[in-house]
Amino acid sequence: MISRVTQQTIQHSALAGLQTNLGKVSDLQARMSSGKKITKPSDDPSGSARTMALRADKAAATQATRNADDGIAWLGTTDNAMQSSITALRRARDLTVQAASSGSVGASSREAIATEIDGIRDQLLDLANSTVQGRAVFAGTTGDGKAFDDGSSATPYAWHGTAGATVERRLSPDATVRVDSDGAAAFGQGATSVFAMLDSLSADLRGGAEVSGRLSDIDTKLNGMLSQVANVGIRYKQVDDAKTAITAKIQDTKSNISGIEDIDLAETIMELNMQQVAYQGALGSAAKVLQPTLMDFLR
Amino acid sequence: MSTFSGLSTALSSLNAQRQALQVSGQNIANANTVGYTRQRADLQSVDATSVPSLFSTPLGPGNGVSAVGIARLGDDFLDARLRTQTSQASFASANATTYTRLESVVTEPSDTGLASGLQQFWTAWEDVANAPDSGATRTALMGKATVLTNQISDTYRAYEGQWTQARTEAVATVSQVNTLASSVADLNNQIRGVLVSGGSANELVDKRSVIITQLSGLVGASARAMPDGTVNVMVGGNPLVSGDRAQAIELDGSFAMSAATAEPPVATDVIRLSWSTTGTALNLEGGSLAGTVSSLQPASSGGPIASAVGKLNDLATSVATAVNTVHAGGQTLAAPPNDTGVAFFSFTASLPAALGLKVAITDPNMVAAGNPGDGTLDGSTADQISQLREGTASPDAGWRNFVTDLGVASAAATRRSSVAETTRASAENLQMSNASVDVDEEMTNMLSFQRAYEGSARVLTAIDQMLDTLINRTGLVGR
Repeated sequence: MISRVTQQTIQHSALAGLQTNLGKVSDLQARMSSGKKITKPSDDPSGSARTMALRADKAAATQATRNADDGIAWLGTTDNAMQSSITALRRARDLTVQAASSGSVGASSREAIATEIDGIRDQLLDLANSTVQGRAVFAGTTGDGKAFDDGSSATPYAWHGTAGATVERRLSPDATVRVDSDGAAAFGQGATSVFAMLDSLSADLRGGAEVSGRLSDIDTKLNGMLSQVANVGIRYKQVDDAKTAITAKIQDTKSNISGIEDIDLAETIMELNMQQVAYQGALGSAAKVLQPTLMDFLR
Repeated sequence: MSTFSGLSTALSSLNAQRQALQVSGQNIANANTVGYTRQRADLQSVDATSVPSLFSTPLGPGNGVSAVGIARLGDDFLDARLRTQTSQASFASANATTYTRLESVVTEPSDTGLASGLQQFWTAWEDVANAPDSGATRTALMGKATVLTNQISDTYRAYEGQWTQARTEAVATVSQVNTLASSVADLNNQIRGVLVSGGSANELVDKRSVIITQLSGLVGASARAMPDGTVNVMVGGNPLVSGDRAQAIELDGSFAMSAATAEPPVATDVIRLSWSTTGTALNLEGGSLAGTVSSLQPASSGGPIASAVGKLNDLATSVATAVNTVHAGGQTLAAPPNDTGVAFFSFTASLPAALGLKVAITDPNMVAAGNPGDGTLDGSTADQISQLREGTASPDAGWRNFVTDLGVASAAATRRSSVAETTRASAENLQMSNASVDVDEEMTNMLSFQRAYEGSARVLTAIDQMLDTLINRTGLVGR
């Protein structure tokens, strides 16, 4: 059926058409000004779900870079302390070798060597008590601020750490890395510690005893430290690599979010222009159709 | 046949054409009146007078024309169709509005919504895991936790506000429906009176028709015409208006969202419609009031606001339970008995979970960061809590699912609404194309009525001249 057309129906449908056109222009305009094509979940429910998950990933990854930075500070400090300790212990070994050649070393020289050994012990103790922001890196979970007591305390060279308790930094939902080091494994503790050994070495030197037998003790400690420093190096590299990967992942996630959420500028401008043309066309035709009536032609 | 009978024929035509012209004038005057239905003067020829006898035949031509009435050129079927579509479109639109409002509250996806609040809360735990000795990170964590609880309770308040607003709207709609229904009853009464006395009630009928269409939009009313010119308005199978009597409807149920949407539902608190006089339940089949009332229902009856609020409560409960379970096993920096077994979150018992959720501890040292026995500054418990965000059963995933479901439901409701609106617009267009005034058509009619009037006047003149000839110019012989 061809329905009857009256001025009112034309006016009505013209108005409805203009409304639709203007609504589309306004939508596109809103997209242009916000730069987003998803401003509420219903714009694209599956896209919103993905961007929300991606945002969660991004937040976790951003935190992971902070964790990694912190881990690098810990492992860097540990590494430095271990390297310096090894250098210091090597110096102690050299001095022991020197003192063991008893024929050429007099009492005063042995005293000097013993004093230097004491100095090395103090230096080692300082290094073993290295801290990052007030926390001892060789006794990670202690709240005491140091890893080892000194020799004059009630419990000489006691380790403050807890066996098995580690300080971990999270690099991903599935991976953590240990950033402290087992001080007891690196330096020993109490009577069997490297400090106690150096103490007895200097006592032997002062007492004029033969010290060549000490070399093997020093070597054992040195090997223990070397294996620890290798371990720290591996973990340092692990954190460093992870940090690079995480930074790349954050970039990826950002561009993924942007790909889902953000408008394609060229496309939107194009659409907006097309819509504007359509709107102007609708306006023009409405103006032409609504004006004339039969009265214009009857006299 | 009388000598003067032609005069009365011409006169009847003059009267009838003038009346028809007046109707055209009325039409043009109301060309833009909403709800006006075009009218026509019904012209009918008048039979010739016949001799009152058996087998009589009319003598001569007819006796002119008379306007027997003014017809209203409406179509009841098009009106009924428009009303059905209006009722569905209004229902769909009310639904879509509910979802749009729900959506506008969640502000996702964004960097400021509840999801982001959750993420910041979890990452704050990682900061505590990194530096359990730092009071600053512990304080920051408690700050983030407070922000999270505030975000949850703010969202709850916004939903509650939406519910209250919808309830107020429903009350206003009910009173509007009752007013409109009594207007229809009044109009029915007037129309019946006018028709009984033989008048034209077209304008009253237009007015009534507009009101009934309005009622369709509000409560899905349909009209049933009666022989006496009145219309019965049916809502949910029962008469809202019957003749000159209107039945009032009313909205019952609690004014508080928590009571009206309680689970399991309490029959006296649930929002429902009923007939005032009988108290019988009124189940609407369409109209915006049906949409509004359905949005006020408890979650088990499919109320969208109540379901959203339920999800918020679930979120609050799952965050608190998950965190507290791990937190209680951790060790704090505080002195015994607060060194372990401390709850991080707690609920205010009298309030819904989303509103009652709060950070239970005030002392930053009471944040349990470490595993008991692993040293004072162990951070493994804090790290474990931070990882509660992972997995499909996490509060974050629950919230994401809710937002996605809301998006899907909202998109579907909006689509349904726009489809229903298109159908309604086409029904309206059909109805209007039949009922509205076409100025061109009226102009043409005016032309023909005017010409007919002129013609009748000419007939009158011709008869007058005939009579003049007869009276003044005959019988002058011999004068």
